[in-house]
Amino acid sequence: MTLMTKARLKSLWVLHYDCGSCNGCDIEILAALTPKFDVERFGIVNIGDPKQADVLLVTGPANHRNQRVLRNLYDQMPKPKVVIAVGTCACTGGVFHNCPNVLGGVDKVIPVDVYIPGCAVRPEQIIDGVVLALEKLAGNAPKEEEE
Amino acid sequence: MANTMNFDYILPILYVLAAPLLGGLIMGLDRKITARMQDRVGPPLLQPFYDVIKLWGKEPFISSRMQPILATGYVVFIFTGLALLALGEDLLHMLFTLTLADICLIVSAYNSESPYSNLGGRRELLAMLSYEPIMVLTAMSVQIVTGSFLVSGIFSYGTPLLLVLPAAFIVQILVLIIDMKKSPYDVSGSGHAHQELVRGVYTEFSGYTMALIELGHWTKTVFILSLISLFWAQNLLIGAALSLALCFVAILADNIYPRLNWKSMLRTTWLTGFTLILANFVVLIVLEVI
Amino acid sequence: MASALAAFLLNDKRARIGIVSVTALTLIATSLLLFINGGVELSLGHAYETAVVALDFALLLYFLYQGFRSLSWQVIVLSLGQLVPAAYFEFILKGAHVETTLVVDGLSILLTLIINVIGSIVLVYALGYMDEHESHQQEGKSRQNLFFFYLMLLLGAMNGLVYSNSLYWLCFFWEVTTLCCYELIRYERTEEATENGLRALWMGLVGGVAMVATMYVTNHAFGTIAINEILVATPSRYLYLSFALLAIAAFTKSAQIPFQSWLIGAMVAPTPVSALLHSSTMVNAGVYLILRIAPAIEGTYLTYGIAFIGIFSFMITAIIALSQKLSKKILAYSTIGNLGLIIFCAAMNTPLSYSAAIILLLFHSLSKGLLFMCAGVIENRLHTRQIEDWKGLITKLPVTATITMVGMGSMFLPLFGVLLGKWAAIGITATAPMFLSLVMIVMMVIGSSATTLFWAKWLGHFAITPMSGAEPAEEKLSATYKLSLYSILGLNIAASLGSGIVLNTVIAPIVALNYGKVWDTNILVLSSQVGSFMILPLWGALAAAFIVGGLIYRSKGGVVKPPYMSGENVEGEPESFRSTADGVVNYQIAGMFFDPDITEARWVPYSTIAGVFLNMILLALVML
Repeated sequence: MTLMTKARLKSLWVLHYDCGSCNGCDIEILAALTPKFDVERFGIVNIGDPKQADVLLVTGPANHRNQRVLRNLYDQMPKPKVVIAVGTCACTGGVFHNCPNVLGGVDKVIPVDVYIPGCAVRPEQIIDGVVLALEKLAGNAPKEEEE
Repeated sequence: MANTMNFDYILPILYVLAAPLLGGLIMGLDRKITARMQDRVGPPLLQPFYDVIKLWGKEPFISSRMQPILATGYVVFIFTGLALLALGEDLLHMLFTLTLADICLIVSAYNSESPYSNLGGRRELLAMLSYEPIMVLTAMSVQIVTGSFLVSGIFSYGTPLLLVLPAAFIVQILVLIIDMKKSPYDVSGSGHAHQELVRGVYTEFSGYTMALIELGHWTKTVFILSLISLFWAQNLLIGAALSLALCFVAILADNIYPRLNWKSMLRTTWLTGFTLILANFVVLIVLEVI
Repeated sequence: MASALAAFLLNDKRARIGIVSVTALTLIATSLLLFINGGVELSLGHAYETAVVALDFALLLYFLYQGFRSLSWQVIVLSLGQLVPAAYFEFILKGAHVETTLVVDGLSILLTLIINVIGSIVLVYALGYMDEHESHQQEGKSRQNLFFFYLMLLLGAMNGLVYSNSLYWLCFFWEVTTLCCYELIRYERTEEATENGLRALWMGLVGGVAMVATMYVTNHAFGTIAINEILVATPSRYLYLSFALLAIAAFTKSAQIPFQSWLIGAMVAPTPVSALLHSSTMVNAGVYLILRIAPAIEGTYLTYGIAFIGIFSFMITAIIALSQKLSKKILAYSTIGNLGLIIFCAAMNTPLSYSAAIILLLFHSLSKGLLFMCAGVIENRLHTRQIEDWKGLITKLPVTATITMVGMGSMFLPLFGVLLGKWAAIGITATAPMFLSLVMIVMMVIGSSATTLFWAKWLGHFAITPMSGAEPAEEKLSATYKLSLYSILGLNIAASLGSGIVLNTVIAPIVALNYGKVWDTNILVLSSQVGSFMILPLWGALAAAFIVGGLIYRSKGGVVKPPYMSGENVEGEPESFRSTADGVVNYQIAGMFFDPDITEARWVPYSTIAGVFLNMILLALVML
C-alpha cells in the first residue's frame, strides 16, 4: 500500500449535506461525532467546505430544487471522492418517492458509492458504510473515475 | 557586529527542517489531548501528517492563479522567520517577516472573490491586529532589558527572561490561542467547520494549496513556541517545557470557552497586553533593573 | 523659476512638454552634481537680498488681498500679523542681512535630490494626467499653464528653502510654497476647493508668523538671523524659544495635529498636486526644519515635547485612517502619520533615531509619490475615489493594479525601506526619560499596528478579483504615465534592495555630521546597536516563493473553480447566488471601516483640541 493510499484511508474529511431530510439521519450523523461513537478516531472530521472534503454524506431525497445544489457541491469536490447516501430517503426516495417534487434517491443526480438504508440510520451503520467507502477509496485513483 | 551566532550553521538548519515535523506532532498531540478531555479516544498522533499527504494528492482546484504563489509565499516567509530565529537574529525583524507571511494568506483569502473567504480574511486581519501589539511589546521588552532586539542577546543576557518579564510571558498565551485558532479566539477559521464561517480564511484553499497552508501553520506554531521557550534561554529544555505548558493551557481554554467575537478578542488582548507589560516595566523601573 | 514663467506664458501643449523635460533634466542633473561634489557655501550679493525683500512684501500683500477678496478674517489677520512685523524688522531694525546666504550641506543635498528627482517625475506625470483631467471637465480654454507655473514655482521655492541660511530667506521661500499650495489647491475654482485653499493658506500663514517671531527672538538674543550661527549658539531660553517657534512652523507645514485639516482638505486638488505636495516637497519642508534644529536641542525637554507631538499625530492619524473610504484621504492620513513618525525620530535625538528619520523621509517620499500617482491614474479611469468601488482592478487595469499593490506593500512590508525606518523608530522609542517613554511606547505600538491594519485591509480589498477566470484586459498606459510610474517604482525597489548602499553613501554621512557612526552595514545586513534588519535576504525569500510556487503550480496545475456559496452558485456569474424563488442575487461584501467607533466626526475635534494643548505645552517647556 502506498503512502498516499494509506493517507487517504486514514484521513477522511466529510461534507454533510441535508437534501430534504426530516433531520433524523442528520442527528444520527452528528451523534457519530460525539464521544460515544467518536468517528474522529478514524481521522474523520466534519469539514463544511466541499473544496476540502473527500466524502459527501447526503441525507434526504433529491428534489427539483436541491438537485442543482447537490450537483454544484459534488462538482466542487476534488477527486478522489466518495458519495454516501445515508438513510432510505437518500437511497431511493423512501416514503416520499412518489411525491410530485421528489426525483427519487440521490443517485438520480450524482453517482453514489455507498448506500446505507435505514430510517433513521444508526451510527454503527454509518460507521460500517464509511468503512465500505474506504475500501472504494483505496482502489480509486483520481485519474480513473467511473462516471 | 552584534550578529555572533551561538551555534554553527548545522543546528539551525536541522531545526528549521525539523520544524514542520515537530509542528505536526504538536498538532497531533493537541487533537489527542482535546479528545481525551472530551472523553473520546481521538485520532492517532500522526493524523495531521495523513491529512497533509492526502491533501497533496487531491485533484488540484484553485481559486485563481495567484493562489499557489501566495500559499507558497506564506510557507516560505514563515520558514524564513524561523531560520532567522534559529540564527539568533533580530526579533522585531522576524515578527515583521511573519506579518509578511500573514499578508500573503490574507491577500489570498481576499483574492478569491468569496464571501466566506473574505470574511475570514477580514477576521484574520483583526486577529493580526490583536496579537501584533503584544508581539511588538514583547520585542520592545527584550530590547529594553537586554539592550537589543537580537535573539542572541537573550542568550547572553544571563538571567532567564521569565524572571524579569513575567508579564510578557503570561501574555504569550493570548498570542498562542489566536495563532492556534483555539476558542475563544478562533474567529477567522479553525480545524473544522465553523458556524457562519465555514472554513473562514481557509475556505477557498483545496488540495495542495491547503497542504502548503497547513505546513506553514505548523511551522508558525513552532515559531511561536520557540519564541516562548526563549523565556528560559539559559536551559532550553526548561524553555521548551514552558512553551508546551502554555500550549496545554491553550488546549484547555479551547475546551472550556465558546468562540467570542472579534471585538472581545481585540479588547482583551489589548487591555491585558498593554496593562500587564507596562506594569511590568513600571516594576522594573522601580526596582532599578532598567 | 524661469521655466515656471515660461510655462505660464506658453499655453501650448507641445511647448509645455519641452519645458518640463528641460526643467526636469536640469533639476536632476544639478542635484546629482551637488551630491557628487559635496557641500558648498555661497554669499549672494546685496541685489539678491533686496529682490527677496521686495518679493516677500509683494507676496504678503497678495495674501492680504486674497484675504479681503474672500472675506477670510484668518487670512487677513495673519497676513497683517506677518506683514507689519516683517516690515518693522526690515526697515526699522535693519536686521535682515546675513553674510552666508546659502549653505548646501548633506541634509540639503539629500532633500534636493528627493525634491528634484521625484518632483521631475511628478511633472512628467502631470503632463499626461492634466490632459486627461481637463478632457473630463469640458472647460473652455485650458488653464494648464497656470497649473504648471505653480508646480514649477513650488519646486524652485523648495530648492531655495533647503539652501537658505538666512531666516528671512527661509521665511520667504516658505511663504512661496504656501502661495503655490494655496493656488494649486483652489485650482478647480469650485467652492470646496476655494474653501480648502483658504484653510491651507491661513494655516501656512500661522507658520509664517511663527517664523517672523523667531527672527525677532534670534535677532534680539544673538544679533543674527543666520541659521548656521544660531544652531551653534550657546543654549538659553531664547534659543529654545526660537526653536519652539520654528517647530510650530514646521508643524503647520507638515500638517501635524492640530494643523492636519488643511492636508486632508487639500485632496480636492488634482492628483499631481497631492503627489508633489504630500510626498516630495511641501510637507518635507516641515520635517526638514525639524531635522535641521534637532541636533541643537539634544537632551532638552523641548526635544521630547516635539517628539511627543510627532508620535501623537502618528497614532491618531493611523487610527482615523482605518475608517476612511476615499483613497486620497487614506493616503493623506498616512502621510501625516509618517511625517509625525519622522518628526518623532528626529526629535528623539539619538544617532539611530536621526538616521531613522532620514531613512523614513527618503523612502516615504518615494512610496507616497508612487501611490498618489497610481491613485490618480485609477481615479481617472474609474471616476471614483471610493475604495469599495475599486474592485477587480487586477483584471481591468492589470499593470496599474500591480504597480499600486507593490506601492501599497512598500509602505508596510519588510521588503522595503519604509519598514526599515519604522523598525528603527520602534528601536529608539524607549530612549526617552523612562515614564515618558512608556507613554510613547503605547502610542508607537498602537500606531504601528493600526498602520499595518489599514494598509493590509486596503491591499486585500484591492486584490479581490472576479472569478470568471477572464483573461486580464490589455491596458494601455500613456507614455508619460509609463515613464513616471516605472521610474519611481524602479527607484523605490532599487533603493530598498540597495538599502545598505544607500545607508552608507547617502545617509550615514549626514548623520555623522552631528552624531557619529551608527550603522554597520553591508549589502545584506544592516545592523546597529539595537539589532539588525535584512532586506536583501527577504527579497531572496520572495524570489524563492515565486520560483517554488511557480514550480509547484507547473507540476500540479489547477483548475480554477468558483467560490463556495453553499452550493448556490450561478453558472457564469461568479458574483451571484440563487436566493428565494430561485432569484439571482449579487452578494455584497462591504469593507471594514469601524463605523461608528472611529469616525472623523468623533476623533478629529478631540484630537485637534489635544493638539492645540500640546503645542501650548511645547512653548511652556521652553521655560524649563
